Amino acid sequence: MSRSVVVGMSGGVDSAVAALLLKEQGYEVECLFMKNWEADDTDDYCTAEEDYRDAIQVCDILDLPLHTVNFSREYWERVFTHFLQEYREGRTPNPDILCNKEIKFKVFLEYALKLGMESIATGHYARILRKHGTFRLYKGLDAAKDQSYFLYTLGQKELRKSLFPIGEMTKKEVRERARKMGFPNAEKKDSTGICFIGERNFRAFLKQYLPAKPGEIVTVDGRVVGRHEGLMYYTLGQRKGLGIGGGYGNKEAAWYVVDKDLRQNRLIIAQGHDHPALFSTRLTATQLHWTTGERPDDSLSLQAKIRYRQADQECRIEFTSDQTAMVTFAEPQFAITPGQSVVFYHGDECLGGGIIDRVIRDNSSYESAITGEI
Amino acid sequence: MLYFDHSATTPIRKEVLVRMQEVESKHFGNPSSVHRFGQKSRSLVEAARRQMATAIGCQPHEIIFTGGGTEANNLVLWNLIHQKQKHVITSAIEHPAVLKVLKRLKEFGLSVTLIPVNKKGRVDPAAIEREIRPDTGLITIMTANNEVGTIQPLAEIASIAHKKGILFHSDAVQALGKIAINVQESGVDLMSFSAHKFYGPKGVGALYIRKGVHLQPLIIGGGQERRLRAGTENVAGIVGLGLAAELAAGQVQETRSHLDSLAFRFRQEFTRVYPRAIYNGDPEHQLPGLVNVTIPDVTSDILLINLDLRGIAVSSGSACSSGTVEPSSVLKAMGIANDLNTRTLRISFGKDNTHDEVATLVEALDDIIKRYRN
Repeated sequence: MSRSVVVGMSGGVDSAVAALLLKEQGYEVECLFMKNWEADDTDDYCTAEEDYRDAIQVCDILDLPLHTVNFSREYWERVFTHFLQEYREGRTPNPDILCNKEIKFKVFLEYALKLGMESIATGHYARILRKHGTFRLYKGLDAAKDQSYFLYTLGQKELRKSLFPIGEMTKKEVRERARKMGFPNAEKKDSTGICFIGERNFRAFLKQYLPAKPGEIVTVDGRVVGRHEGLMYYTLGQRKGLGIGGGYGNKEAAWYVVDKDLRQNRLIIAQGHDHPALFSTRLTATQLHWTTGERPDDSLSLQAKIRYRQADQECRIEFTSDQTAMVTFAEPQFAITPGQSVVFYHGDECLGGGIIDRVIRDNSSYESAITGEI
Repeated sequence: MLYFDHSATTPIRKEVLVRMQEVESKHFGNPSSVHRFGQKSRSLVEAARRQMATAIGCQPHEIIFTGGGTEANNLVLWNLIHQKQKHVITSAIEHPAVLKVLKRLKEFGLSVTLIPVNKKGRVDPAAIEREIRPDTGLITIMTANNEVGTIQPLAEIASIAHKKGILFHSDAVQALGKIAINVQESGVDLMSFSAHKFYGPKGVGALYIRKGVHLQPLIIGGGQERRLRAGTENVAGIVGLGLAAELAAGQVQETRSHLDSLAFRFRQEFTRVYPRAIYNGDPEHQLPGLVNVTIPDVTSDILLINLDLRGIAVSSGSACSSGTVEPSSVLKAMGIANDLNTRTLRISFGKDNTHDEVATLVEALDDIIKRYRN
């Protein structure tokens, strides 16, 4: 009896090859194109139409049906409103992680199961291995493309029902297969940026939804050096776009965003990439989630990433409650950013992760000076 | 039977016809239907869009399919009524699918400036620049003229238009397949095409719309073609257009040199038997295979009927105006006197014409002219 699977087709080359592999493996394959964002007709930045065009041609070549479903209401309610709320609170969320958690591996998965299908598949570079009855999430074999960082919110229920057919392949191999099949998206460049924003100007996009509140830019030693256009436009560790010229401090060195003081609506900056205020070794994480369902022993030495594509960092974890922990890194970390995710690994296995809540400054003298907080 | 009227229309390519028959008989689904009958048809339409895009050097989403070149022109021109800037610059030798539309649009508040052409039928870009006004909203100049075959300096006009932020449209109906068309190099914002001029089916055309240019639909109804052209797609026709465009663009170099050699041969031999022949057009910028020749001793209606009696098809002026002895407005614009104007033939060779056929044509003309002279 053939196993049945619904492949989430994005219009990209990865999910196209995922569908191809599953078909070759004898699965009964149905493809589903998800529309998660309603753009108006004149929106030049929305590539959904283009993506659908590629998806349907791939499905034609594979002789697979392509169904379309609109999850934009769910996306708006469960991902986008949260995304805006995080920005309102001065944090920098990762909507791709939330989209996987709330849409692809929840709404889409439920949708597929309700259709009577056994599992879903996506074109993620990650692997699921079953060991002693437990489904374990591993990095994709292509180290440069590994996407397990975005998948740490998956649990046993989701991993049991999901397939990542290209997790063992490199991007190069994926493109090669696509070329051989004559897929129109074989050379399509990887999508960059956040799916609903596309390549458009991020500030202009955000401005449509959130009021910009300009305020002061202050150095870590308390000098007001300029004005910012709204804290939401800045990310910790950001270098460009501060709009302050030379004239302060060492003219050679660039300025970086160190912190956001939400209470006084001030952007705090420091000069030089090496400035100590940009580094810290500890953070607190909330909303902890473990892929196996079991939290790891806190005596275990772990690695973690605080942003996608970062090299694994040695760390220790101390649980402060079921859902929260203090994470201490062996090396100081640059610009730990609240709202982003810290994802834990043991070797190649992705154990889980959480949302970065606070950065614990090693040298908090500037912080108390500026914000009055400790 | 000999056919030398390829500027009026071309015979459909065998492989295009076979493909269309297959599509029409096997894939009847409505491309907007969500089931797999619809999916198949949609995929066919999108594959054709990709072929058309590749043929002219643009992205698939920059192509919409229309019911022909005339409709593509109308779609562009009628958009002017939605625009604040209601002044249009065009040439005196445009096809009626532009000139008559503009004449009608004057009733809707449009003002039109006709740029004269030189004796060779060429527009002077500097003359266009001089006519630009603050309310100029569009410049539309054909790629190559349908009667005399003069190729216009698109890139120069485009750079003038863009310097002033004015949209530039070109009717390229005569050009595709005879000269290389690349919308990036020519710099146009909008370009019209018609399948039956490049060995495709009648009743289907395409409009190139540069990304970022927004149009309102002319035909309103369902959401087809990005809501720019309502109505269930002419799937077989679109598939035929796509394949014909791919073949036309792919073979343009060999087609061009073949057409040039036929035209050269004709001029050489015909001048030998009839030295009073006058060739109209611009030898430096001439559409391959199109010969516009004035035969001062015989009127064109006499020539046409006598050639037709021998099974030879040519035309006087454009097909749309033949059958009348009205002087050609194109030749008039080029300053060709009325008495010569009505003694002019348009001979347009095609890819399947041979040198022997050219010889037969010359013999026939020689015979007819000798009989009617004086």
